[in-house]
Amino acid sequence: MDSRGWRMALAGAACALLLASCTNKESRAKETPTDPADPDQTPPECQGPRDPGRVTLHRLNRAEYDNTVRDLLGDTTRPSRDFPADDHGYGFDNNADVLSLGPLLMEKYSAAAEKLVEATWKQDASRTPPLVRVCAPDPADPLPCGRQILERFARRAWRRPVTSTEVDRLTGFLSLAKQQGDGFDAGMKLALRAVLLSPHFLYRVELDPHPASMEPHRLNDYELASRLSYFLWSSMPDEALLAAADAGALQTPEHLEQQVRRMLADPKAEALVDNFAGQWLYTRALDSFHPDPLLYPFDDGLREAMRQETQLVFREFLLGDHPARDLVDADFTYVNDTLAQHYGLPKPGTQEMRRVSLAGHPERSGLLGQGSILAVTSHPDRTSPVKRGLWVLEQLMCKAPPPPPPNVEGLPPAVDPKMSIKQRMARHRSDPTCSGCHSMMDPIGYGMENFNVVGAWRLKEEVSGAQVDPSGDLPGDVHFKDGVELRAILKADPELDVCIAQHLLAYGLGRGPMDADACTLRSVSKTAEARGGRLSDLILAITQSQSFTWRRGEAEDTNEGSAP
Amino acid sequence: MKDFKLSRRTLLRGLGTLMALPVLEQMVPSVARAAEPGAAPRRLAVFYVPCGIYMPNWTPRGTGRDWALSPTLQPLAPVKDDVLVLSGLSHEPGRPDQFGHHAAGTGAFLSCVKIHKASHESDVRAGVSMDQIAARALRSHTRLPSLELGNDGGDGTGSCDANFSCAYARNIAWAAPTSPVAKDTHPRSVFDRLFAGFDPDATRAQLEKRKAYEQSILDFVREDAQALKQKLGTRDRRKLDEYFTSVRELELRVEALDQQAPTCSKGPRPENTEDVRQKTKVMCDLMVLAFQCDLTRVATFMLGNGRSDRVYDFLGLTSGHHTYSHHQHVPENHAALAKIDRWEVEQFSYLLQRMKSVQEGDATLLDNSLVYFGSEVADGNSHGHSDMPVLLAGRGGGTVTPGRHVRYGGKPVANLFISMLQSVGVNVNGFGDDGSAPLPNLKQ
Repeated sequence: MDSRGWRMALAGAACALLLASCTNKESRAKETPTDPADPDQTPPECQGPRDPGRVTLHRLNRAEYDNTVRDLLGDTTRPSRDFPADDHGYGFDNNADVLSLGPLLMEKYSAAAEKLVEATWKQDASRTPPLVRVCAPDPADPLPCGRQILERFARRAWRRPVTSTEVDRLTGFLSLAKQQGDGFDAGMKLALRAVLLSPHFLYRVELDPHPASMEPHRLNDYELASRLSYFLWSSMPDEALLAAADAGALQTPEHLEQQVRRMLADPKAEALVDNFAGQWLYTRALDSFHPDPLLYPFDDGLREAMRQETQLVFREFLLGDHPARDLVDADFTYVNDTLAQHYGLPKPGTQEMRRVSLAGHPERSGLLGQGSILAVTSHPDRTSPVKRGLWVLEQLMCKAPPPPPPNVEGLPPAVDPKMSIKQRMARHRSDPTCSGCHSMMDPIGYGMENFNVVGAWRLKEEVSGAQVDPSGDLPGDVHFKDGVELRAILKADPELDVCIAQHLLAYGLGRGPMDADACTLRSVSKTAEARGGRLSDLILAITQSQSFTWRRGEAEDTNEGSAP
Repeated sequence: MKDFKLSRRTLLRGLGTLMALPVLEQMVPSVARAAEPGAAPRRLAVFYVPCGIYMPNWTPRGTGRDWALSPTLQPLAPVKDDVLVLSGLSHEPGRPDQFGHHAAGTGAFLSCVKIHKASHESDVRAGVSMDQIAARALRSHTRLPSLELGNDGGDGTGSCDANFSCAYARNIAWAAPTSPVAKDTHPRSVFDRLFAGFDPDATRAQLEKRKAYEQSILDFVREDAQALKQKLGTRDRRKLDEYFTSVRELELRVEALDQQAPTCSKGPRPENTEDVRQKTKVMCDLMVLAFQCDLTRVATFMLGNGRSDRVYDFLGLTSGHHTYSHHQHVPENHAALAKIDRWEVEQFSYLLQRMKSVQEGDATLLDNSLVYFGSEVADGNSHGHSDMPVLLAGRGGGTVTPGRHVRYGGKPVANLFISMLQSVGVNVNGFGDDGSAPLPNLKQ
């Protein structure tokens, strides 16, 4: 299949069909900003220094808070369970612009800090090596020991060296406690709580030498260390990374790569599976998936196995030697007996998830054959070629079609149970206000129609009894006869790598894509391709990109809208 | 410090797995209320349901005092005389210029300001909501200016509604155009928040010391933030402003530690649950408890987030709420929607009955309150924004005469909000994009 043809077809659809029928300025911001004709040649607009963009002051989200207190204090109680949900933007809940901090959350932070400090102080006496009680205070003069503890703790918690003035201010709590008739412990606990409530802990602080200047500049070592650790671990830098920052060793690509490789190999990189893949691939939505029990037998065992399948496959891609684009048609997966039976694959003979080959089962290969993704893109009682097609376009191709025009929802005629899916979707083609977008979405969904709502293989539709027809025609006279051919088309599209890079960049930086990222994404995917095109190559290329290692300020803006 | 007696029955009701907070008349010092005759606090509450209502089964026949409960409103029978059905109100600011009615309707639900759909999802701009205006005005009376409750956090995948920011679909309370007020979705967490720092055994000296300590921490972090702010650009400074506001709010709680603690007994701490039936009840109980203990006078509750596609399996339904709400005039979908609507009204009725069971002097808690029930759209299929499904319960301390069905010919909901604000003593004559005067005929 001619990949260029497909890509041009999409681009063509975007220009001709979408603009004619679904014109929507807003939605275009979600697309990959530019589409240079030849990826092998750097287009003029991508030559010269790039705008790294800017990331808004970034509050730790719930996962980041939990992981940070885990790594700082050894606390595994996940205090954020009580926090209000984080809003998300561009598909991720670590988007700095929408991570707000209201009074409710501040109260939760305050309560959590008190609890965490109490628990730490109590347990620490018996912990070896001690975390905070690194010295025994001299009863006559406890101040030097207090200073030592607080300096060490604040450096870790704030992810940067602290000034002696800052330590002085913290030791002020010792005097306060004394005035109130309390001892060293009381003062220390207050100071530790203050460290955990400080904006330097709750936010990832990055500073511009001239906040109102658009001139890009490199991040300092500690800022870069935090970007790396919150990208790969959703957590604070560890001692080794901070030491590298201390030594100025993050400023060369070689050292940076060394750190990234070390961090990816660390179990903490599981955060990428939970927080990046869980949102990119929608597996987080499995929790609220409730299929019609009469039509589609489903239970929590199956739900969990599906979730783990996607996580395990993603993890293998993260750590392994597969080109990232193989995600679309990987010839292996992970199943247990329950899931294997559900899929019609040979059972591995255990309820543990096992890696199995999909040789001889190409219909199951890759993400498009995974129950988790097929389920969360279905309605509870029927499959949705539209939702599935949209998922592929948004998550794999970064070609989100615009939302339907005003008041179009509700227009489709009533669902006649005797009609096949394709007959029902016919209206999308006949109505010119719909056809532009649906001619992109629906056919992709047809290619996944051999999977029912819960991702089981089927030849007939449950309700209509109609024979499933998994063939489709994509814009630009691109025809496929089934899901296997559809995968080949998707895989051959160079946009796939760029799109994965775009999601990784949005997640890694905690900001939405901007026009200036187009060049970065092209070069990231090109660099990664030259190294083998693995997911880790994409991640490495992102961490070395100017968008990741540089930042800039922004022109003064006098817009209203600040909190009262 | 007052003494409270908990009856054995009350305590027993608090036990068991199906957690319900006990009816707490016994826990509140009736003398405290009796001591201030005519000065019973007035409260505002909001009960939000997503995806609109199937209106043919909702709108009652008859008007004035001569009206009959419609099939969907049937569960209100025990409180019929405490409820006003307000037909024909419109909510035009909730109508978006383009697709995204649920996000737009929910974001504008209490602010009556057309929300902003920017070029990107992370640019959020709505309006200040009615409850937050009341909260600001009443804040000096209680420990918490307002209480925001909800059943759903949000699973955080995909876009929320046609690229509108998720903040719109998840929040009805807005302290400022860019500041949604996050809601608490865990019963235990709500309870802990209501009684944070509450220690009935603490001496005054201990309370004073605690206040001094808490204050010192807040002073410290405020100085940190102040120093940081000097080094930040415009947008980051604006982000940090949220921090300052929140620290200030926390400070007010600290200042009130000794004032508020003794007026109410906590009762048992509820269990967390994800069963929507139990959770809704506990959230209603907590709202009543907070009012009863005068910990706040303003509360909002979101039964679901905007555009919720919850599957109500316990009602025998197999598809999601939002999916059904696009009923396409199919009778089965109408029936499913009517079932969901009726269940929602049952929950609302439960809340009202709980409020009515709390005696405050010669009146009840419900008499001293106004409780607003509504949704982000009228009909979920057409996404209508006129003839909204609106109920107003309670007497607002005598400012409203319930027990009637009143028809309006297209007056804005914003006008009702003006009346509601006036009833709690907030003097406003305009509200949102289209509120220009109080709504007539609320009192007879």
